[in-house]
Order: sequence, then structure tokens, then C-alpha cells
Amino acid sequence: MRGINNEPAYVLHSHPWKESSLVVEAFTRGHGRIGLVARGARRVHSTLRSRLLAFQPLALSWFGKGGLKTLHAAEWLGGRLDLSGRALICGFYLNELILKLLAPEDPHEALFVRYEEALQALSGAGDPQPILRRFELALLSELGYAQTLDRTAEGEAVLPGGRYGYAFGLGLVHANGHETSFSGKALLDMAAGDYSDPRTLAESKLLMRTLINHYLGDKPLYTRQLLLDLQAL
Amino acid sequence: MHPPTLAALIEALHALPGVGPKSAARMAYHLLQRDRAGAARLAEALTAALERLRPCERCNNFSETPVCSLCANPRRDPRQLCVVEMPVDLNRFEETHAYSGLYFVLMGHLSPLDGIGPRQIGLERLLARACDGVTEEVILATNFTVEGEATAHYAGELLKARGLKVTRMARGVPAGGELEYVDGLTIAQAYLDRRPL
Ligand SMILES: [Zn+2]
Repeated sequence: MRGINNEPAYVLHSHPWKESSLVVEAFTRGHGRIGLVARGARRVHSTLRSRLLAFQPLALSWFGKGGLKTLHAAEWLGGRLDLSGRALICGFYLNELILKLLAPEDPHEALFVRYEEALQALSGAGDPQPILRRFELALLSELGYAQTLDRTAEGEAVLPGGRYGYAFGLGLVHANGHETSFSGKALLDMAAGDYSDPRTLAESKLLMRTLINHYLGDKPLYTRQLLLDLQAL
Repeated sequence: MHPPTLAALIEALHALPGVGPKSAARMAYHLLQRDRAGAARLAEALTAALERLRPCERCNNFSETPVCSLCANPRRDPRQLCVVEMPVDLNRFEETHAYSGLYFVLMGHLSPLDGIGPRQIGLERLLARACDGVTEEVILATNFTVEGEATAHYAGELLKARGLKVTRMARGVPAGGELEYVDGLTIAQAYLDRRPL
């Protein structure tokens, strides 16, 4: 039985398991999304329970092969990550995207770094929208679902003044006037990670939503509704 | 194979939180074999509870009367309303004798990843209750889990939008706590929630 020690990780979600245990879905740096059983974590004096909080940088140690592994240690790594209010709901949204789009046990080290950056950014003040859009694009690109946004499927450079449609699996195509289209400027901004133009932000929201809905199939995104409800207040 | 009535009993016990199929079977055998009088009392108690207990119109806690005795008590301060997740949390609060206001029991928390949203817990009833014209302060005492925090935020935004004063129970180093023995996350949160003296 191979063990992994002190792997940087975040808890995405957890739920009660059997009489006194917890099943934890974690996003780890080197092993991707994994399922862990934290035995006895729901007992009153468990030290694990208070540490297995989402959005906190942890070092997890586990053993076991296939399916659910056994967690035997969790250390809090410290640092100033405190998500509250709307940022907390945005954090749930990132977690839901990872849980619903990432296959278990596929390592995605680059995405782990982007996730950590997104949490760090959310814990600061400011508009969470660009943070969510950057992470969505990073996730879709990492999974091979988002093609490059500065070139068309045929390899032509995207022009700021042009309009483009998006063909699933192919990438950008010249807009034919029928499908939803995006401005070249917005696409180039997104490729550069620049969301300072409100029009870019609006167009990126539409493109990301179209792609995410396509790849989720009929799985619902609960946190999106919650964020919409909050904005409607 | 179990006879259908026994299978149904085991299935019913299995529905209890933290009870797996094996424990459910053990409980069923125990009740039927060793404690038939206890089993009858359990059946009666369950039937009576289902028949007589309803959510209190004011606090949403279980009650045999439309308004529970706590909500009907004239010595409680109606200007303060404390929001908790579960009846057990209300009981813990009451044991302290430190609070003399009223309560609202949500009977759960938001759990965005499980699809439990504001409509699934009694947030609309909380709003109606808090906007009675008498309540001045709503104290959010949901758990300090990420779900409890999300619930407090959501409820807080709704209540503030209606002009109510909203406070959140403080978190930090426990009473009698020595920093040497307190976990790092608790110290960090107590630092973030520090208050001026
Ligand atoms: Zn009541």
C-alpha cells in the first residue's frame, strides 16, 4: 500500500459517512481530485474535523489504492485566506466547477496553482467577476475544452475589429451572422487575462457560460443560481 | 431473505443519520427480540410526535401548540432574534442563560454543492418573522463551517436589505483557552475578528 505524505491540498466538499466518519473530496496539487475517508472525524474531540475546512491550505497524508483512500493526517499550512460573504459563495462556485468537470485522480498541477491564485484573489477586496472568468478559462483550457482565443481554428490571427463564433471542439470561426458571436477585442483581452473592459467581462461571461453548459451536459450548477439570487437582492 | 415487514423495519431504521444497514439490522433484532416493550413505546412516541408536533409559527422549532412556550413567554425580549441552524443549537444557547431574546430555527443550512439553496431552508419564513416591526436586532448564530458562514451571509444580506440591524456571533479562542494549545486556524480567525478596546 503506497502512502502519500504532506500533499498540498484543498477540501472541495465533504459529507458524513457511516456513524462517525467523513468523506472528503479534495483537490490536491500532484494527484488531482481525490476522495478520502477521514475516520472518526465526526467524533466530538476529533482534531481532524476542525481542520478539514474548505478554502484552507492544507497538507494531507493518506494511504490506500483505488476509490476512497484513507486520510491519516491533515495539517493547516497557514496563510491569510479568509473567504467571507459573497467571496465565499464564489469559492463554492469554483469548487462546484472542479467537482463536476474534473475526472477523479487526474493530476492538474497547473490548475491547482490557478485555483490557489483565485482563492487568494477572492479573499481580497474588489469585483470577483474577473477572478471567476480567469479561473473558468484556465479550467476549460486545462481540460482541452477551450481552444486558443487569439487564433481561429484555421490558424489566422484574431483581429480586434473582427467578429467570431465558437464551434465546440474546433475553436473560433468567422461569424456567419447566425450564431452567437464575440468581438475580436474581447477574445484577445481574454487570452491576455485582461478583464478591465466591461464589454470584455460581459462577452467572456457569455462565452464561458456557453462552454461550461455544453460540457456539463444536463448536470445543474447550483452555486450559479445562488450567485444570481444574491445579485438580485 | 427477511420477511417483508422486517425488511421494511430495517430499511426505516437505515434512514436514520449515521445508521448503516448492519446497525439497522442489529437495532431491529434488538427491538423485536429483547425489548418488545421498548419497541412499542418507540412506535407510540413516534406516532404521537408525528401527530402533535408542528413547526412553531414564530420560531419554526417543534411545538405542540401553534406558538411554542418560549415564543409566548412575556419575559423574553422581543427586540432580539437569534437565528440558529437546529433545535439542538437553541438548547445550547438556552443552557447559557446569557440570552433573553427570541429565536428562529432554520432547520438546516445552505449547502450550495448539495443543491440546498435558500428555498430549501426556511429563509423566507425568517424574513417574514424578522419583519414583525418589533425585532430590532437579528443575531446570526449559524455554525462556523463554510456552509454556516454562507447561510449567515445570505440571510444577513436579505435582512439588511430590509433595514434590520444584523450581527454575527463572534468566533475565536475558546473561554479559558491558552494560545499554546489552540489550533492555528482558530488563532488566525481570532486575529482577523479582533476588536478595539
Ligand atoms: Zn416558537
